[in-house]
Formats: sequence, structure tokens, C-alpha cells
Amino acid sequence: MIEVKNVTKRYGRKKVLNGVTFTARKGEITCLIGVNGVGKTTILKAIMNLLPIDSGEILVNGERPDKHLYDKVSYTPDMLIVPPNLRIGEAMEFMADFYASWNQERAEEILTFFRLNRDDRISELSKGNRAKVNLLLGLALDIDYVLMDEPFSGIDIFTREEIANVFTSHLVEDRGVLITTHEINDIEHLIDRVIILDEGVIIKQFDTEQVREQEGKSVIDVMREVYNR
Amino acid sequence: MKNYIKLVNFEFNRFFKIYLVLIALTVVVQLVGAIYEGFNYVDFAREMMQNQMITMEDFVRDYGPMSIYSFIKTIWFLGPVAICVVTLLIYSLFIWYRDWYGKSTFIYRLLMLPVERIKIFFAKVTTIFLCVLGLVSLQYVLLFLEHAILERIVPGPLFVNLPISSLLNFDFLVILYPPTFIEFLLYYGTGLVFLFVLFTMILLERSFRLKGIFLAACYGAVALTLILAPLIINDGVGGYLFPMELFLIEVFLIVFIGFVSVLLSGYLLKNKVWV
Amino acid sequence: MKIQFNHREPVYLQVIRYFKEEIARGNLEPGQEIPSRRELANQLKINPNTAQRAYKEMEEEGLIFTAGNMPSRITRDEMVLKRVREELLMEAVQNFIASIRAIDVSLDEALRLVEQNFYGKEGEHND
Repeated sequence: MIEVKNVTKRYGRKKVLNGVTFTARKGEITCLIGVNGVGKTTILKAIMNLLPIDSGEILVNGERPDKHLYDKVSYTPDMLIVPPNLRIGEAMEFMADFYASWNQERAEEILTFFRLNRDDRISELSKGNRAKVNLLLGLALDIDYVLMDEPFSGIDIFTREEIANVFTSHLVEDRGVLITTHEINDIEHLIDRVIILDEGVIIKQFDTEQVREQEGKSVIDVMREVYNR
Repeated sequence: MKNYIKLVNFEFNRFFKIYLVLIALTVVVQLVGAIYEGFNYVDFAREMMQNQMITMEDFVRDYGPMSIYSFIKTIWFLGPVAICVVTLLIYSLFIWYRDWYGKSTFIYRLLMLPVERIKIFFAKVTTIFLCVLGLVSLQYVLLFLEHAILERIVPGPLFVNLPISSLLNFDFLVILYPPTFIEFLLYYGTGLVFLFVLFTMILLERSFRLKGIFLAACYGAVALTLILAPLIINDGVGGYLFPMELFLIEVFLIVFIGFVSVLLSGYLLKNKVWV
Repeated sequence: MKIQFNHREPVYLQVIRYFKEEIARGNLEPGQEIPSRRELANQLKINPNTAQRAYKEMEEEGLIFTAGNMPSRITRDEMVLKRVREELLMEAVQNFIASIRAIDVSLDEALRLVEQNFYGKEGEHND
């Protein structure tokens, strides 16, 4: 379980997170939605200890993060984070070198799944394929949680479909997935839980199936309500 | 330890291309320079001896003999050295900032490695330091070669053939090639601490950004003041301390500043640095 | 396997209805092996937990059964299968009644139209 407890973060005078509390469970796909603001990405970075928070606490499996965090949780930002002059295979070797949780077999499988070529230079890949490389490096680790920042933004519809297929495949297995998005359409049926964040505050969190069953509402219906649109 | 070595290897590979260019530039410019200067001197000597009808001895007396001393004052020698020094200084900044502002934001990956983050700091320090040592060694070999080239080109009477060991006592070369091990430790240790302080300043900026620039400037100023203070104060009071005492105080201060820088960098990397 | 999902209805219920329709149509036969929950999630592009929930509910209704570690299968229980068919039929009839009541049409008129159109329209439903 990833527990985010009463987390507050300012950039200068601007409060981007204001007492944010939620949990992301193993075996569930949790989606952080927000129409505007930078809060979503900030939360993911804070969980990964890439950004100091001003107050509050973040626990992963009940523990405060240390270097072992990165063998339990992986994070895929929506940008390239390996030197682009590397070939895909070299980036994989780099990961294998450092991560005890690297699973070569799974990496090969994802390579095939995404139809990537290990000899291609990352700098020469399309945006969609770069996103796939990012995901590959995050998903090939034997870890409990996968964090993804806007995995569907700015890429073509076919790549979006391929990436969405990951969520229903064994590649995600019984891990906890926490993704951010500002566009819910592609994945409405894929997610267990939605957390709506606006101006640094969680304005609603709910289970998707429960809201459909008890209130007869779609995720977008609920978003319309809370945003008063 | 294994992770540290892997990180050093990785960092070095990222600099390797630029490094090769530096090496090639130094070798080519200095060797071509040695050949050119050698022939140039010989031509000049021949011309002078013919025009003024003087002997070799007269020429040497009036215009000075050729030696490696003369060569290392030329742009052929000093140019590549200066380019190497400046490049390494710039890369000492770039080695961090490229991770934030390069084509990819590699700092994410670095900070998310299951490795104590201070090892990233040490890996970067080591990379720069090894590059310095590499270039200094290369220069050592080149000095011998240049000496040999000049010796071949310039006729015996016109050439001062000094043992290379006395050459290394010359000028700034004393710092690059200290005659004793203690001096080696002192000079290169100071260089290392300079890198520690510089990197700590970078990490202060990376942690607190705009405010961090101010903090970094303060940190650098304090470090510099601490090092210079005993020298200035001692001068002011008319050399109250024995040179040995002053030396030990300086050594202590340098080690202290290095130690504090590593501790502070470790803290910043672990708790304050952000992307 | 493809379902056009309604966003406002629980996905697991839509999955169960899909199975019932397939059973009623005979596309799924008694005793036939069905995909694992992971395969189902993948085929329908739905959350694996949802697939799991649908299977659990179907198991409780006796629609499918799982023996030990074997893959799940469609029940061979004739009673259940008959009930499924009746249930779907009943649902359709009720929807029909609700629709014609809403526009105030008499049963006679409606049934006459049903008879006239039933065979002609059947072809279009063949998908």
C-alpha cells in the first residue's frame, strides 16, 4: 500500500498540494485525475522522493522511503529519462546492472509485446516508441507498484491502445498501478479507483464500479458534477 | 562499491567523446608545434648566422639557445593546456546540469537508482578527477616526446639538453608534477576539495534554485575565506606562525572543508534536491 | 469477443449479461471452457479485478463452474441454462412493454406490428 498522508507542497508562494491524503493499493489501478494544475505529477515525484514535501508523510508498504524504495516502486515520467544516445538494449543493460529487481525475461517479453527493436537508438525513436521504452524500463522490474505520469498524452491512438493493453495483461499482474491523466476516455474501464485533484486538493475519490452500481454514473458524470461543468 | 564503479564507468563513457577530442587536440597541436618551433628556430638561426656572419656560439649568446623551456612558453603548448583546463572546468558544471537540462532528464533515473545517492556525487567527482589525471599523464609523455623532437631537429650546439626531471621543476609544471608525494597529496587534494566545494554549490542551487544561488555563493565565499584567513592573518601579524604550523592549519582546513562538503552534499542529495 | 460498454452501468454486470446472451444464443455451449479472468480482461480491455468479479458472480449464480485448478467452464445444468434464457426473454419483453407503454400503444397494435416485422428484421440482427 502506498499511503499519502496529509501532504502539503509549495512552489514559492503557490500551494500545489494542500493536505492531500489517499492510498493506492496493490492489485488495483488507481487513477489521479485533474483537469488543471501540476499537483498530479508533484504527488508522483514526492512518492519517489524526487521532491521534498513541506509537511505530511508518505509510506510505501508502511515504510519511509530509502534507496530500497526503487526496488519496490518504479516511476515512468512523461519524458525521456535515459540518455538518448543509448540503444534500447544498452538502456536495458544499464537497468539490469543496477536493479536487483530487474527481470530480463519479462523485459524481453515486453520488448516483443511493444514490437521494439533492441538495436534502435532511443534518440531516433518516435514519440510513441519512446513512451514504450520508458514503460518497458519501468515494467520489467519485479516490483510492487508502478507509477506512470500521463502515459497516454501526446501519442497516437494506436500506441495508446497498445499501452492500454498493458494494463489488462499479465505484465501488470497483481501490482498496484498509480497513473495520472487528464483524459479518462481511453481507460475508463481499466481503472478501479479514481482520485480527483483540483488546485492541490482532493475533491473526490471513489471506486468506479461502485459509482456505476450505486449511482448509475460514469466517471465523466462524476467529474462534471465536481467541476460544475 | 560495485555500484560506484559502474556509475564511474557510465559517467566516463558519457564524457568519452569530448575527452578523446581533447586528447587528440593536445597531441596533434603540441607535436606539430614542437616540429614547427624546432624548424622555425633552426631556420631563424641559419638566416641570422648567414646575414650577420656570426658563429653558432654568437647566435646562442645573442638570441638564446633552443630548449623545451622555450617551447612550453609557446601557444602550441599552452593553448591545448588552457583548452583542457577550461573544458574540464566547464564540464564540472555540465556533468550535473546536463542531467537536468539535457536531451533527456537523466537525473530522474540517477536519483531513482537503488544506490546511496552520495555515490552519484563521488562518481561524478571521480570522473572529473580521473580525466584530469589522464591528461596530466598524457602531458608527461608528450613532454618527453617534444623534448626528443626538438633534440632531433635542433643541432647540438644550439640545444640545451637538460634532464627532464629538472624541467618538471619549471613554473606551473611543479604543481602538475610535484617532486614529493606530500606535495602531490597537497596539490591534488586541494584540487579534489575544490571539486567537492563546487559540486556542493551546484547541489545547493539544484535544491533551492534561486535562493540556492545565493546560498551557493555564500558557501563558496566561506570556504575561500576559511582557507585564506590563516595566511592573511599571519601576514597581518607579521608572520607569527612557523611555516610548518601554517601548513598544518591549512591542511586541516582543507580536509575539514572537504569533509563538510561531502556531508552537506549527501544531505542535499538525499533530502533536498529535486527535479 | 467485443462488448460496447455503457459507461453508466457496472462493467461486471455488462460482462455477465454478455455471457448470458452468448449462452442463450448457443455461442457458448454447456461445458465449454471459458477464458481465464486475465484473458477475459485482456480481450474485453477491462480491469482484471472487474473480470474477476464477473466470474465470481457467475459462479455464485451457477452459470459457470471451476473444478480444482482447471479452467472455468459453462455449466451443464439444464435448469440453469433454461433459467438464463427465460431471464433474458423476460427482460426483453419487459423492455418492450415499457417502450410501447411509454408511447401509449395498444397491445394488439404492437403485436400486429411485431408479427409483420419480426422475420423481415431478423436478418439485420444477425451479427
